[in-house]
Amino acid sequence: MNVLASGAAGAGAIALLELDAASVGPFLLSRPVVIGPIIGWLAGSTSTGAVLGVVFEALSLADLPLGGGIDFSAPVAAGAAAFLAAGPLALSWEAAFLTGLLAGWAHARVERSLRRGRCAQARREETELALGRPSRLGAEIAAALAVQAAGTFAVSFAAFAVVGPAAARLWPALPRVLQGGARAAFLAAPWLGAGGLAASLWRRA
Amino acid sequence: MSPLNARLFLRSLLLQAGFCDERRQGLGFAWAIDPALQGAYAGDAAGLRAARVRHLAAFNAQPYAAALPLGVAAALEARAAAGDPAAAARGGALKDTLGAALSGPADAFFWGSLRPLASAAAILGALAARHFQTPHPFASGALLGLLVFNAPALWTRWAGLRLGLAQGEGAVLVACALPAQDWIRAVRGAALFAVVAAVAAALALPLGFSRPLAALAFAAGVGLGRFAGGPLRLVAAAGLLGAVASAAGWTGWAL
Repeated sequence: MNVLASGAAGAGAIALLELDAASVGPFLLSRPVVIGPIIGWLAGSTSTGAVLGVVFEALSLADLPLGGGIDFSAPVAAGAAAFLAAGPLALSWEAAFLTGLLAGWAHARVERSLRRGRCAQARREETELALGRPSRLGAEIAAALAVQAAGTFAVSFAAFAVVGPAAARLWPALPRVLQGGARAAFLAAPWLGAGGLAASLWRRA
Repeated sequence: MSPLNARLFLRSLLLQAGFCDERRQGLGFAWAIDPALQGAYAGDAAGLRAARVRHLAAFNAQPYAAALPLGVAAALEARAAAGDPAAAARGGALKDTLGAALSGPADAFFWGSLRPLASAAAILGALAARHFQTPHPFASGALLGLLVFNAPALWTRWAGLRLGLAQGEGAVLVACALPAQDWIRAVRGAALFAVVAAVAAALALPLGFSRPLAALAFAAGVGLGRFAGGPLRLVAAAGLLGAVASAAGWTGWAL
């Protein structure tokens, strides 16, 4: 399978699992600690996916999705990082971590825009009912799910087909100082996240 | 399990599918309650249309707590269709009030306590499975975490829906009598213990990172996470420190 085909398969898997985050359930199937090993397994290295999943899990656990607010998409970040590190590009873990952060940030912006667009769906249903036409609620819900999955697919595929290959070419040329900084950020991330979470639980307990 | 209960329960899992800024879960709520409306207003097309429009209004609740308002609203719509016109208005008001009142404790329980417990259980489960060399340690850990979270989450949804459908407005009194704060405290304490245990277990692994520095990073997260406004800024600071250390030629932190 070439890079684009395997990227499409990986992006499709992330798009399906991400629906769990804010559309279906949630059953926690989209948590990084679950999505990381699954995408890693699909890409060829479950353990690499698990490591990156744990890192993003620790970073995102203290964020509560109150009122449906999403500032950063941890499922897309973990899935993208796991695929880039475990898949055909075999990015270094720190490069995959930074690319995953970028994908998670981008997906949260796409998600916000999709939410604004969905406001028309309820109004459309009201209009249909007022005109005495049959309810199209099922079709509206199916459309919302399909558009959400398409948005996630687009962000993930862009990470695999554009950002990932660019990072694979640029990373070896980066100065050692920057590579060292990225490695320190990646290695410290799970401990910093776990510490913040423990403090937050302690305060509220 | 009646077919109506099962259909409402399954549809309630899509409550957030049509989430939008203006009406929040309104579209998903209208979709979830629709089988109950169709049953209640069978043969009354105008009544069904009016009820469908009523439930397209804005609604927002923690997704696991939303099943109770769904059951209460469905029960009151059945009464309205049976000849109690004020029941529909009471149902609408109760739906909003319950959604708002239940969301605080449900957020604290499910997102703030049970989710960290489930994640820590997944990590501890994977580490234990790896230690005992069982096949598929990561799948075992993930399954354990999913079970820890989903057993209470699905039960809450199912029980809330049944209670609302069976008791209508009376379900509010039952919900108010639940010792929710005790449950939150207990699960939060267990989550704290599990997170610290997972950190201690992970410190014993080959990390590619100096253990004292890993412990220092954990301590920095404990002490500074709140003031930094989240862990990502601390991660950026760690990256800067790492770059400075690399520029100075010190690489002892990475093993």
